[in-house]
Amino acid sequence: MSRHAATCKTDTCKARTHKARTSEARTHGAQAARAHTYKAVLGSIVAGFAILVTAGCSGSGVYSTTPVPAARPSSTPTSGATSAPPVNCGNPLASFAPTGPNPAPGSPMPAGSYMKTIQDRGRLIAGVSADTLLLGARNPLNGQIEGFDIDMLKAVSKAIFGDPNRIEYRVITTAQRIPALEDGSVDIVARAMTINCARWQQIDFSTEYYRAGQKVLVAKGSPVNSMADLKGKRVCAPNGSTSMDKLRTFPGLIPVGSDTHTGCLVLFQQGKVDAITGDDTILAGLAAQDPYAYVVKAPAFTAEPYGLGVSKTHPEFVRFVNGGLAQMRTDGQWKTAYDSWLKAALGPAPAPPAAVYGRQP
Amino acid sequence: MSQTTSASQATGVNPAAGSQTAGSQTTGAPTVAGRVVDARASLRRSLSGTPGRLRILALLAVAVSLIFGLGAYSAFGSAEAALSRAGANAAQLVRIQAIHTNLVRADADATNAFLVGGLEPADQRTSYTSSMQQASRLIAEAAKAQPADGPALGALNDSVLTYAGLIEQARATNRQALPVGAQYLRVASSGLRSSALPILDALVQANDARVRAEFDAARGASAVLIASGVLALLVLIGGMIWLSRRTHRYLNVPMAGATVAILVTLVVGVIVLASIGSTVSTVRDGSYAATLATAKARIAAFDAKSNESLTLIARGSGSAFEKAWVSSSKVVTEQSAAATKLSNDAASMGEKWKGYVNAHAQIRTKDDGGQWDLAVKQAIGSDPTSANATFNAFDVASGAALTSNSSAAADSLDAPRTWLPFISWLGLLVGIAAAVSAWWGVSLRLEEYR
Repeated sequence: MSRHAATCKTDTCKARTHKARTSEARTHGAQAARAHTYKAVLGSIVAGFAILVTAGCSGSGVYSTTPVPAARPSSTPTSGATSAPPVNCGNPLASFAPTGPNPAPGSPMPAGSYMKTIQDRGRLIAGVSADTLLLGARNPLNGQIEGFDIDMLKAVSKAIFGDPNRIEYRVITTAQRIPALEDGSVDIVARAMTINCARWQQIDFSTEYYRAGQKVLVAKGSPVNSMADLKGKRVCAPNGSTSMDKLRTFPGLIPVGSDTHTGCLVLFQQGKVDAITGDDTILAGLAAQDPYAYVVKAPAFTAEPYGLGVSKTHPEFVRFVNGGLAQMRTDGQWKTAYDSWLKAALGPAPAPPAAVYGRQP
Repeated sequence: MSQTTSASQATGVNPAAGSQTAGSQTTGAPTVAGRVVDARASLRRSLSGTPGRLRILALLAVAVSLIFGLGAYSAFGSAEAALSRAGANAAQLVRIQAIHTNLVRADADATNAFLVGGLEPADQRTSYTSSMQQASRLIAEAAKAQPADGPALGALNDSVLTYAGLIEQARATNRQALPVGAQYLRVASSGLRSSALPILDALVQANDARVRAEFDAARGASAVLIASGVLALLVLIGGMIWLSRRTHRYLNVPMAGATVAILVTLVVGVIVLASIGSTVSTVRDGSYAATLATAKARIAAFDAKSNESLTLIARGSGSAFEKAWVSSSKVVTEQSAAATKLSNDAASMGEKWKGYVNAHAQIRTKDDGGQWDLAVKQAIGSDPTSANATFNAFDVASGAALTSNSSAAADSLDAPRTWLPFISWLGLLVGIAAAVSAWWGVSLRLEEYR
């Protein structure tokens, strides 16, 4: 452009130059516009390729990792303070006195009585444990449930039917004992059940048929002589048991709950708890299943009077059961039952607990 | 050298004179900046005027033809890949459900054998062992087949190991006639349900989602083909109209050929992909759905069978297990009905399940009537009307239905995969050929300007 200006002298040339300049400018503008469209076209082509490449690669078969669900917290160790408030019911061991001697076994029961209902049904429905060795446990060899508690029920069955085996067993957990009686799904509960005033508010008890006491089971060789030595250790007891209530009163221990004492034994064998506390009868049954378990020799730190539980709606059945228990104490049946189940673990038979009456329904 | 001199001369000199000298020197000895300017200038020159426009048209035509070729290649290729992955994910899903089935079957065997007592029947023991072996083999296979499932399968392996350990302890303890054995069995069973089964559910969900995503990908593959085809056709047809106006020739034969080739490939490709889409829909709503329903029915069935035994083991306080049985049985009935609607192979499942439900009802009547011993005898018996025998009939029928449905799904998904790679290369070739042809067609006109 500058060269044009320098070399051009004439008017025509100047005019031509001007024309050239404008046309050149126009061409220049057009070229710029074309270059712009060219760039746009190029850009869109590149974008097209990019889309194709991503489209081809989007399903590359690489997936996000399958989520692993968080493990559900185990439901076993529960420890809410559910200790029943102290209730005064007089002497908790006092039950309803029998009204005269029981009808002869197998004879028709008094009309309208609960025994009659049971007799008409043809079987006694009992809530029991199937895994408390010595008291009530299923014998894996023959599938039968047997033990000291079961022998008490057999006596009741015999008194009603004249046959000790007219019993339908309902296996229940420790915590199900009272609800099962309240909703009427069982007639009677024989499951190492401690008589106390709090429970008298919900159900009725027979007279005491055995006096157990709470002890503690630890691993063989551990230097534990009493509950005080277990500070900071995890100690297992079934939820809803008097053992659990008592366990909570010891400071510095970590209470761990389970459904049953056998559940505690599994936790103990897995090393998840350091000790198990419960009635000496039950602990003897646990120790019999594990040569590395040992019941601390110290005297029991509670008294656990066992009674048969019956619904509050039929006191006549409680009187009937008490009549049967009274007979067992005197005719040697009680001692026979003790000798066959508890003697080996707990020593020679003590005198059967005396019956206490005086309560009115 | 010349660059530095020209630069030093240019600085601080009269701008008019400077520019004059610099300009004359640049033409003499080209600089980098000068070369770029030159290249740009020649590019501008080559793209200006009618020949320039022709060149742009040629470039555009080549580009869209190649894009179409790549689009076709990628559309068919991704349809093929999606089908292959859908098949692999469906196989993984079947594998996961086989793991699930084997675990619940093992649990059903273990719990039922437990009812018998200390001395468990040898054939139930064998069945338990083989179920556990298959489950652990399948876990390893599944981890290899889908790395994304690895962590979940690792966690599953953990809980299966724990389960097997607890069952062995239960057996050993039971063999010594100790009641704590029953507790180990309960802990094992409930642990399996609370830890392993949620992981299996998560795996099933993840793989089902993957199968469905790949089904969608296979059905959506034609979008790329259509977009690139329509773009190519628009440019080529637009180019031909422009050419015919410019050159007063009605038809540019090579470009028309390219257009027709692309059009034909597009139409055929869309039809092919649509047929694959309909195949996928048929599989998804047919054999794949039947496979899922059958597998769900089987899992619920074995779960129900375990719960039947657990109800009896709990002896009177097993109402929670019986409730679980009822809800599992409902799932079996529903899923069997769904599978029957979808596949003839599953037709007998519902009938067979009814047979077992009747046997179960008899067991419940006995147990609820206080005859626990008789109920157990029925539950562990193996005469033709017993729970075990009727359940076995369901197991056989549903197992056969599962096999035939899952292989039908796999076959249908595999069938198009034999010729899809061939078509996808063909699509690419058509694109390249169209590009060459279009270039040739435009260059014929370009020749006339030389």
